[in-house]
Amino acid sequence: MLETRNLDKSFGAVHVTRDVSLKLERGERRVILGPNGAGKTTLFNQLVGELTPDSGTVNLAGEDVTALPVAKRARQGLSRSYQKNTLFDGLTVEENLGLAAAIHTGNATTLWSDSLGKAEVREIVKDVANQVDLMPFLHAKVSQISYGVRRQLEVGVALATRPLVLLMDEPTSGVGPEMAKGFHDLLNNLPRDLTLLIIEHDMDLAFDVADTITVLNYGEVVFDGLPDAARGSDLLKEIYLGSWEDA
Amino acid sequence: MFHHTPFRYAALVLLASGALFQAFTAQYFGLEILTEILILAMLVLALDMVAGFGGMVSLCHGALMGVGAYGYAVLSTTAGLTPPVAMAAAVGITAGISWVIGAICSRSHGIYFIMATLAFGQMAYSYVFEAPIFGGDDGLGGIERLDLSFIGVDLNDTRTFALFCLVTLAAMYGLAVMILRSGLGRSFSGVMHNEQRMRALGLTVWRIKADVFGLSGMIAGVAGVLAAQHIMYISPGLMAWTVSGEALVVVILGGLGTLVGPLVGAAVFVVLKHELSSLTTYWHLIVGVILIGVVMSRANGIFGFIENSFAARSKTTEINPKAMEVTKDA
Ligand SMILES: Nc1ncnc2c1ncn2[C@@H]1O[C@H](COP(=O)(O)OP(=O)(O)O)[C@@H](O)[C@H]1O
Ligand SMILES: [Mg+2]
Repeated sequence: MLETRNLDKSFGAVHVTRDVSLKLERGERRVILGPNGAGKTTLFNQLVGELTPDSGTVNLAGEDVTALPVAKRARQGLSRSYQKNTLFDGLTVEENLGLAAAIHTGNATTLWSDSLGKAEVREIVKDVANQVDLMPFLHAKVSQISYGVRRQLEVGVALATRPLVLLMDEPTSGVGPEMAKGFHDLLNNLPRDLTLLIIEHDMDLAFDVADTITVLNYGEVVFDGLPDAARGSDLLKEIYLGSWEDA
Repeated sequence: MFHHTPFRYAALVLLASGALFQAFTAQYFGLEILTEILILAMLVLALDMVAGFGGMVSLCHGALMGVGAYGYAVLSTTAGLTPPVAMAAAVGITAGISWVIGAICSRSHGIYFIMATLAFGQMAYSYVFEAPIFGGDDGLGGIERLDLSFIGVDLNDTRTFALFCLVTLAAMYGLAVMILRSGLGRSFSGVMHNEQRMRALGLTVWRIKADVFGLSGMIAGVAGVLAAQHIMYISPGLMAWTVSGEALVVVILGGLGTLVGPLVGAAVFVVLKHELSSLTTYWHLIVGVILIGVVMSRANGIFGFIENSFAARSKTTEINPKAMEVTKDA
C-alpha cells in the first residue's frame, strides 16, 4: 500500500534520512520508534511530499508518487496528522472536520452550494467524531477545547479525508498516560483495512497497536520486524534506553 | 468563516433603509455623495472578501476598479460597443486579470503579498498613463451611462442612477455572501486559518485563491464600470495606488472580515471626507487620527466595536478579550 525505497535526505551536513526502505501492506499497522531527532518526522514529511528527498522513491497503492505535490498525494489517499497541532484555530470542531470532508467529497471548490451543509460531508463529520470521541465537542471552537481533545481532533481531521493510509506523528505526545491509553483504544477501533503508520515514542503504548515495528536511529532503519522480536532486541533497548536517560 | 447573525441582518436592513431614504429625499449634492458611497462600498466589499476572509490583503483593488472603468470607457467609446456589451466585457476582463494576479500572488504571504499586488497595480497605472488609447494624463471623456429607457428608467437622472447603484450594490453583496458561503468560500477561509493543513488535506490552494481573487476582482470591476458611468469621465488618478490604500483604510475602519462593516466604513469615510474637507484642508490628518483610534481600540473597526458593545449588553457572559475573534467568527 505504501512503500519507500532508498529514501535519503540531508540538511547541509546533517544526514537525517539514510537509505530508508519501508513497506506497508494494506491494513498493516506499523509503529515507528526512535529517539528524539532520529528523523521520524522528517521521514513523514518526505512521505507526504512536504519535503523532497535527495534520492529514493515513494510508492502509494502501486503508483510512484515521488514527484507528486502534497495535495495530489493527499487526494490519492495519503493523510497525516502532525506532531504539533495543525488545526483551523478560529473554527469549531465541526468546521475543522467539515473542511477536510469537503475536500474528500469534491465539495471544496464548488460555488453553487455550501460544502459544510452537504449531507455526505455531515455524515463523514459524524462518523469521524464518533471514531475519535469528539461528539460532545462538535460546536466548540478549537480554542475552547483542552489540549488532549485537540490531539484527538488533529487525528480526526486527517481521518476525515477517508484515507487509504494514515500517518500519525506522535498522536499522544504531550498527553497524560491514561489519556494516551484511551487514545490507543480509539486507534485499535479504526477500520482494519486502513493502513496505519504511527510514530510513537512510548514503547509500551507502541506494542499496544503495532502489527509491525520499525526503529529509526540517526536516520537509519535499525530494526524492522514483529513486536515480539523488537521487545527482546538488545539493540532497541540500548538505543532507546540510552536516549531515555539522555532526555 | 462567514456567518450572518441576526445583528448583522438588522444592520443591513438599517443601512439599506438609510440609503433608500437618502435616495428618495436628498437633493443633487446629497445624491452625488450617496452614489460615491455606494460605489466605494462595492470596492471595499470586494476587498473585504479577499482580505478579511482569505488574508489576501490586496493593494491593487483600486487598480482593478480602474481596469473596469477604463475597460468600459474604451469599449463603449473608442471600440463602439453598446453599453451592456461593454459593461459585461469590462467586468469579464477585470475578473480575468484579477484571476491571473491572484494565481501569481497565491504563493506570497503577508508583506510580500501586499508588495506583489502593489506592483501589479502600479504596472496597470503606468500602462494606462502612457498608452495613447487610454488618453494618457488627460483621461477619457464622453462616457455614456447604460440605457434602460426600454423599461422606462432614465439613468441620466441623478436620483435614478443612485438607486441603480444601490440595487447593484445589493446584488454584489448577495453575490459576495453566496461566494463566501459556498464550498469555495469555506475552503478559502480554511486556507486563511491554516494553509499548510488545507494543502495536506488535498486542496489545490493556489486555485482556490485565484478563483476567489478573480471573483472579488469581478465585483471591483462592476464598481469601476459604475464609477465611469457616474462621472462620465475618467483619468489615471482612478488607478493610483492611493485608491487601493484608501479602500484598505475603509475596510479596517469599518471592520475587516465582517462584510457589513466595510459598508459602514464607506459611508463614514465619504461623509467625513466631505464634511471635513469643507472645514479644513488637513482633513486627511483627522481621518488618520480616527483610524489610529480605531486600530488602537483593539475593536475590529467601527462595526466590530458596535457589535461587541451589543453582545456585551445583551449577554450576561463576559466579553471575550480577543475582540477580533468574536467579530470574525460570530
Ligand atoms: N528543516 C530542517 N532544517 C534543518 N534541520 C532539520 C530540519 N528539520 C529537521 N531537522 C533536523 O533533522 C533531525 C531529525 O528531526 P526530526 O525528523 O524532527 O526528528 P524526530 O521526529 O525523530 O524527533 C534533527 O536533528 C533536526 O534538527
Ligand atoms: Mg518528530
